[in-house]
Amino acid sequence: MKILKNIPVMAAALTVLFSVNATADQLDTVITRGTLNCGVVLDFPPMGYFDKNNEPAGFDVDYCNDLATALGVKSNVLNLTWGDRIPSLISGKTDVVVGSTSDTLERAKSVGFTYPYFVFKFQVFSKPGKNINSFDDLKKIKVGAALGTTYETEYLAYAEKKGWGKGNYTAFKSENDAFLGLYQGKVDAIISTNTNIATKLQSKEFKDYVAGPFVPNYDDVVGLITKRSEVSWINYLNLFLVHQIRDGKLDERYNKHFGSDAPADLIQALRDNK
Amino acid sequence: MDYQFHWNIVFQKMPEMLQGAFVTLHVSVLSMLIGIVIAVLLAIVKMNHSKPFCYVAIGWIEIARNTPALFQIYMAYFGLGALGIHLSPYVAVLSALIFINAGYLAETFRGGFMSIPKTQYSASKSLGMNSFQVYRYIILPQMFRRIYHPMTNQFVWSILMSSLGILVGMGELSGETQRLQSLSFRTLEFFIVAAVMYFIITKLVLFSSSLISRKLFRGEI
Repeated sequence: MKILKNIPVMAAALTVLFSVNATADQLDTVITRGTLNCGVVLDFPPMGYFDKNNEPAGFDVDYCNDLATALGVKSNVLNLTWGDRIPSLISGKTDVVVGSTSDTLERAKSVGFTYPYFVFKFQVFSKPGKNINSFDDLKKIKVGAALGTTYETEYLAYAEKKGWGKGNYTAFKSENDAFLGLYQGKVDAIISTNTNIATKLQSKEFKDYVAGPFVPNYDDVVGLITKRSEVSWINYLNLFLVHQIRDGKLDERYNKHFGSDAPADLIQALRDNK
Repeated sequence: MDYQFHWNIVFQKMPEMLQGAFVTLHVSVLSMLIGIVIAVLLAIVKMNHSKPFCYVAIGWIEIARNTPALFQIYMAYFGLGALGIHLSPYVAVLSALIFINAGYLAETFRGGFMSIPKTQYSASKSLGMNSFQVYRYIILPQMFRRIYHPMTNQFVWSILMSSLGILVGMGELSGETQRLQSLSFRTLEFFIVAAVMYFIITKLVLFSSSLISRKLFRGEI
């Protein structure tokens, strides 16, 4: 077996490839480059989506642009899927991901989180006539969610705790595919965020669908992410988020995308870092 | 790049990854077995030029060979879904892979059939065999011997392409890996281990296929 002999060589090559030391820190790099490469998940309205002119738009995109303005550099928004977020940071394609990333302690072992910048609720969205009054009603029906999201994890954990098993569950590659699956009747209900569901209820395809109960006892607190080692860059981003609230930008962005000032409990939660 | 690899989290999740690997192997073996049967029929029908069936075979082969696997898997899942036919992710991927395997193998088999001299058909017929017997005892055994290696390539292709099952949320090796990495964000580690597992699976398949060929064809290959 020649291949077996080559394994140590391949491992050594990989180690060399990944062990070149960084010199300038990320903040220096962005300022010198003059462009902020900002990753956003663009199939997650109203946080990230493509507008009528096929340009990136949404709350997260606005935050990227605000950050670029604060840094005095150009903003370059890159479209990511949920699964691309970490590889894009590690490979250096993005400097920061404004991608509604839930700040679990497990994930914080791998990437650097800033203070929270938004809080979501997870909600059930079902076909008309399914009568989903509590989260436990999901036991009887087919449920779906986007692969690799925190609501998928939360649903599966809940289902396991209640002994429902995975039989009724379908994963979809992206947020859009989950809504497509619901629309086609592959599943009876999906789990998504309250913000995305509110947007979908305004479209003609989903206007009769029902926004059901929230996932019990769960606030989805999300932060910006970047490389874990870039501490001074994370410091800068934290101060940026504080300024978004203090300078009224949060209200402005919230108004634009949700049609009201940011709720007091959201602002308080962000100020308290929880 | 300053990145520290954490491997232990991947090994903790090994049972779930192995479960995914089993699904990968399962779907590709099944798609191969059914694909071979359909491919033999398609090849024979295409060679015989009997009108309506011949067009079906040509259409099947052309579409299977000249469109992306990604498109076919997507169509089997969401395309049929739009018509109200709901296949589970497993069945959607399985049928797309069967469709493609049959299309590719049909052309391989046709090449195999053509390489067998026409005189053998006539000779067998003159010995009083009917068409079924000619294929069963004379043509097919020789054909499979000649196309055995291209067929193994197709098998490896099926294993690797089943990773597109991730598109429709199938819990095969790639799908499981994607789900597991989202919990800890150890994306590189999980996908590197998954790649190694794909490597081992294909190597095992190639190894057992060469064992089988030795047993079946006794070195006459």
